[in-house]
Amino acid sequence: MEIFRYKSDAWGQRVLEGVSWDLLWFFVGAALLFIVLHAIYKRRLLKGSAENE
Amino acid sequence: MSEPAARYDAGTRVVRHRLADRLYHWLMAAAMLVLLGTGFLPILGLRFAWVDAHWIAGVILIALVLFHIFRALFVLRFADMWVGWREFWQSFAATTREVISGRSAGRRLGKYSVGQKMFHHAVAVVVLTACVTGVIMMVGVDSPFWERNPLFITEKTRGVVFLLHGLAGLCSITMIMVHVYFAIRPEKRYMTSSMIGGWISRSEYESHHDPKLWSVEK
Repeated sequence: MEIFRYKSDAWGQRVLEGVSWDLLWFFVGAALLFIVLHAIYKRRLLKGSAENE
Repeated sequence: MSEPAARYDAGTRVVRHRLADRLYHWLMAAAMLVLLGTGFLPILGLRFAWVDAHWIAGVILIALVLFHIFRALFVLRFADMWVGWREFWQSFAATTREVISGRSAGRRLGKYSVGQKMFHHAVAVVVLTACVTGVIMMVGVDSPFWERNPLFITEKTRGVVFLLHGLAGLCSITMIMVHVYFAIRPEKRYMTSSMIGGWISRSEYESHHDPKLWSVEK
């Protein structure tokens, strides 16, 4: 997976063009991972509270 | 000119978000969705004329951000959004205890939780980065504000500007997904409702919030 995109300028030199769009799925995945981990944490808390009652 | 403490409305409601702030939130949400749609759908292969819609939504977002900065500085209470070291470490320690023990500490919040405040600050950094880099990028396209000037910045600087703008866009995707997740969580729905109606009930205030951290006038 690339992190940056490069292009050739008018003189044929390799210059930075921006962030690689391959990272799009990394950022979507990071959000999904956070959501799943948080949901597990909250479910565990709820279970712990129910056992205490 | 600072917003007074929130107040009970008719004895049963606590005002949480005023109309101006709710309009700001939802207009910002609309602008962000247009920006992400016009920014990323062409990358995913959907071809359409996205440039004009993108910069127009960007200009609207900048105007909204300036409006919010004005309200944050002169109308809203800065203390509601400030995260102190002590508050941060207390929250961090309590969350760690909850994760390890699996038992809720039953913490009551100020107007916003530490997590919400940290999220706000992260959004501020990302959105301001997108706005500043977006304005620099706009110089490269024709608009009613100026004629296109492709030589405004060097090729190297353009690469850095595009990199930062792209990163801000990618971070926005993660943040919006997480934000929507929290907005629909059962224990947070009363907060989401307050972003529509403006208020939370007195019982919600008393069960979720600490009057010492978020005082309301009766």
